[in-house]
Amino acid sequence: MMIMKIEESAIVLSLLKSDLRPMDDVLSEFNSKFDDSSRFFSVCNSLSMMLQDQKMLQNTERLIAFAIIHQCYSSQKPSLNPFLSEMMSAACNEQLEKSERAFLLHLLQWNSYNNVKEILKQSAVDYIRSFDPSTHDFPELRELQREYGDKADPGPSSHIFADYSLKKLLHDPDVPRGCDPNSPEYVFDVQPGGNPRIGSGDRDEALSGFLGNSTMGGLAPRWIRPCPPRYPVHQSELLWIDPDNKHELVWDDKMCADTSRGATVRDLLVKGLKVTLSPMEQEDITTELANDPKLVYHCGITPRKLPQLVEHNPQIAVEILTKLIKSPDIADYFTALVSMDMSLHSMEVVNRLTTAVELPKEFIRMYITNCISSCGNAKQQDKYMQNRLVRLVCVFLQSLIRNNIINVKDLFIEVQAFCIEFSRIREAAGLFRLLKTLE
Amino acid sequence: MDSRDSLSSDAARDSSSLSEDAAVLSVTSALAKTALSYFQSGKFEECFDILIQLDQKKHNDPKVLHNMAIAEYFKDGCSNSEKLLQGLNRVKKQSEELASAARDQLEAANPGTNASVPKDHFDSTVTTLNIAVTWFHLHDYSKSFSILEPLFQNIQRLDETIALQICFLLLDIALACRDAVNFLAVFDYMEKAFGVGFGSHEENGSTMQLSSNQVSKTSSLLSSSVASDTLKSELTAAESSLCEETLDYDNVLAEFEAEKRMKPVGHIPANNLLKTLSERTFSNADLKLELQLYKVRFLLLTRNLKMAKREVKHAMNIAQKRDSSMALLLKSQLEYAHGNHPKAIKLLVVSGIHKEAGTSGIFKNNLGCIYYQLGNYQASSVLFLKALRSCSSLRRNEKPVKPFSLSQDKSLLIIYNCGLVYLALGKPLLAAQCFQKASVVFWRQPLIWLRLAECCMMALRKGLLEERTTSLDRSEIRVSVVGKGNRRQLMIEENGYVELAGNTQLSKLSLPLARVCLSNGIYLLNESLSNDSKSDLGSTFSVGMNETKEASSSDHEEANTNSDLKEAKGGMSQDIIQNSLSAFKDMCSKEKQLMQQALFANMAYVELELENPVKALSAATSLLQLPDCSKIYVFLGHIYAAEALCLLNRPIEAGAHLSAYLVGQDDFRLPYAQEDFDQWWKHTSSDCEETLDPSTGNARESVFLKPEEARGALFADLAALLATQGHHDQAKPLITHALTLLPNNVQATVTAVYIDLMLGRSQDALARLKQCTRVSFVPGRLEVRAS
Repeated sequence: MMIMKIEESAIVLSLLKSDLRPMDDVLSEFNSKFDDSSRFFSVCNSLSMMLQDQKMLQNTERLIAFAIIHQCYSSQKPSLNPFLSEMMSAACNEQLEKSERAFLLHLLQWNSYNNVKEILKQSAVDYIRSFDPSTHDFPELRELQREYGDKADPGPSSHIFADYSLKKLLHDPDVPRGCDPNSPEYVFDVQPGGNPRIGSGDRDEALSGFLGNSTMGGLAPRWIRPCPPRYPVHQSELLWIDPDNKHELVWDDKMCADTSRGATVRDLLVKGLKVTLSPMEQEDITTELANDPKLVYHCGITPRKLPQLVEHNPQIAVEILTKLIKSPDIADYFTALVSMDMSLHSMEVVNRLTTAVELPKEFIRMYITNCISSCGNAKQQDKYMQNRLVRLVCVFLQSLIRNNIINVKDLFIEVQAFCIEFSRIREAAGLFRLLKTLE
Repeated sequence: MDSRDSLSSDAARDSSSLSEDAAVLSVTSALAKTALSYFQSGKFEECFDILIQLDQKKHNDPKVLHNMAIAEYFKDGCSNSEKLLQGLNRVKKQSEELASAARDQLEAANPGTNASVPKDHFDSTVTTLNIAVTWFHLHDYSKSFSILEPLFQNIQRLDETIALQICFLLLDIALACRDAVNFLAVFDYMEKAFGVGFGSHEENGSTMQLSSNQVSKTSSLLSSSVASDTLKSELTAAESSLCEETLDYDNVLAEFEAEKRMKPVGHIPANNLLKTLSERTFSNADLKLELQLYKVRFLLLTRNLKMAKREVKHAMNIAQKRDSSMALLLKSQLEYAHGNHPKAIKLLVVSGIHKEAGTSGIFKNNLGCIYYQLGNYQASSVLFLKALRSCSSLRRNEKPVKPFSLSQDKSLLIIYNCGLVYLALGKPLLAAQCFQKASVVFWRQPLIWLRLAECCMMALRKGLLEERTTSLDRSEIRVSVVGKGNRRQLMIEENGYVELAGNTQLSKLSLPLARVCLSNGIYLLNESLSNDSKSDLGSTFSVGMNETKEASSSDHEEANTNSDLKEAKGGMSQDIIQNSLSAFKDMCSKEKQLMQQALFANMAYVELELENPVKALSAATSLLQLPDCSKIYVFLGHIYAAEALCLLNRPIEAGAHLSAYLVGQDDFRLPYAQEDFDQWWKHTSSDCEETLDPSTGNARESVFLKPEEARGALFADLAALLATQGHHDQAKPLITHALTLLPNNVQATVTAVYIDLMLGRSQDALARLKQCTRVSFVPGRLEVRAS
């Protein structure tokens, strides 16, 4: 709470009025009544407000008020006193009584003004009475500021609004002017007072009302700080709810299930890597694969095993590859197919695949390139084998072209060169003629 | 150990141990069947007992343990999700360990061969799915998603039923997270894999259309007799509450009739077109409808209302063969999105979801949304509360748990709506409670943090943050009369100082909390802006899916020519989908920008309130640096920055911020126009045909300064700035101008009084105070106390 409580202001008021008691006596009473140092600030704040108005307090009261302010912060370095700057400016204010200014300088312990203790032993009245103005010289404000100023705490708030804040007290203009002896500059106002007690205002009441009311800070220009608008609620922010699919926990119905069916297929396929399976066995595999569309993923044929299966059981290989076409691993199977040795069976598999599914163009291209180059390589081995291979490749290519599987233009030069190289073989000449018709 | 034995025997199946194995197998499989039937009939106690027996026979079999965990969860009334998750995770870990052990063993048995483990044995797919389902129901969507992601990558290998379940769950997760990208990835896959999707309906559509016309004809004949009285009265009640809008009411009735007729599904002759695909276990017609509904939801999510309208019609056609309530609900949502609220209410009622206990809460919630948009916040709040009540009663009353029923608890979502409506009603404390509860689900979204901060700020404005200070006094000027007679003085006091310390009334809402919320929001938003390419779920399905998309674009079951044709069609509608996806992305990033502006502006404000000008300045500067910043926020940014600079004793720079709006020497232009405000207010809801209706319009006006008032604020602030620099003469006309624009503004009045006093015109100052209606002349405190 920054505002003084009623009891507190009553105490302060009575202290201010004890101008006949020694001031240190008054101060010690203050100390005993205000044992909570957190209240000091609001007391001093109220006092300093009243001190700003030179007419509000009597001279003795002003002295006591300054003494209290000094007392509150006496345990700390003077520069930590938030009201230091006010004390300094008062000390240099020519309009104030010299006695008060000297008193302040003593409080500030400026140069030769060093007998605070002595002075505080007097009562305020005694001090003023015994004050001899001739013995004092007063410093400039600058000098004081040099001494304390740069160390001085600039006060509770230090931004420009606070710095320029104005005391917020205003003489009530409704008080008939002539009745206020403290404001001679006011001319008489037309406003009829009508109050018989005009001019007999209770100063004490004003003071205590004041002490009770004054809060921190002065009246400063105020900044308009618009509150940011509430972020608009977009339609989609309100949650429209749809009943979702009933996502339930799923019972695992494979628990203790018979897994032998898949096993027979796996066993047959292991056999199929080495020998050609009988038509019956092939039939079994085909039906099992058809019954369980996912079995193909678990039947044990990996890309590495694929070439063996192609060599011995091309139909089964086609079956499996067509079922695997949606698998993310299908590219590995294709790679295995491209890189295996060229043979009738592998070409048969690719040829059948082209009619069953759409193969990646890149794969077909690679495969054809591979075919052509293995024909060339076969020369070293066996003329007969080479002729056989070339004829196979030619038939294969013709079939691809006739079925529109490949676009001849993509491979034209390559295939043409191949035909010319093996033009002695009848099928190659036929392929060449086919190419020419398409041109 | 047993299972490992059974594995090795499995590997050497041709050996003699086969018969022995088979004997065990028959016993266990019989037990397994019994357990399943108990489970399906909801007798979880008995089911669990059987499973214990099974566990004794096949010790540590992961699948048995898995089903035990599930059965136990249901046995305990679906109460202990944590235990379920622990159990499932243990099973998953165990089966993965066993699988890798088995692989090692196989590798050792025949080295060199690339061993593949037989299917089914240690497959943890079901377990994984169940874990994801549980997280889904616990509203941790991103967790659920990350668990499902690896399954989706290998979805081709999975059984179709389970693959479908995974896909549907993923779709719902993506919808819950408003993640259109991942939604599309899954949806694309489903369309390819299950043969129904965006592209395929065109040819079906025409025939469907035909049949539906027939249906509606017949149904209109029946309409008078079939409609049950209660529903009819509901319908008329709903209608009477709407404005007289000419809509194709017959159409609605027909839909309604159709829905009634569809209840017995059996006798509708199966469509030939559907038959070709019907080898699947999941009824293809169901699947088709389901996917169509999801397509509509996607289009609604991406706010492609035109397409949604077309597709929802198609969904209605399919739905006529079965349950159309969902399609009607989506139609209602579509009308809601269009801002056609009366029709939305009508469709909502027609959908009939309020009749079932399970969905009546949803009905009330959605009705609440509509009333909110109509500006009737009171009714809206009542509806949301009712919705919450039906949700909680659902939780309590559903005992015994019907088999296969996880609680469909939507209450956390409804609570969020509650928070919004409380905020609109100006009840920040209640709103904050709602948002804090809902943050369990939404904590990843920046918006909820902004809303929480708004709660704090509203509470501050309403004086709910202070100790005991009367909120009325908060923004008033008080002139106290001190003393009597010739000593009478006036003390002008502005209630500027508010003590925050030691407020015990509500420890939760405070300005520091607002600051924390805002910085959370800013952090989350920055994160999502920086990986805008990625989805909100943290990751998107990899490019692998795209490859398969291409590879699988034709199905081997179809002839080549057919597939070409299909592809062309699919491609066309794919374009539309992609367009609406990218439009949605644009929309989202625009909304994020707006939110960022709001977050920074609020942050600057809160920091100023906290008397922290350095941070306020940095927030305001960030705000001003945002690209395409709305003029409203630019204005706020300048004002906040200028004030912060003043507080930092840098008046020249502060003046520079204000003079951005200066025209000539002493006039300001409007910092923003009313259109700017309206545009901002509607922000990106340009697709919405709704024109601001008067009720919401009023609410909007009280929300923020009108442009003229903003101009007034500029005058007042510049006057204040000049006054502090001693240019009182210059300040005087400015503040007079400000007061004509903002009569009764407290701050402007104080500044004016200050300037008058500085110019030595205390009479003027008092006259000003007397003019201002927000000044209260109070008698001295002592007198009040005494009397």
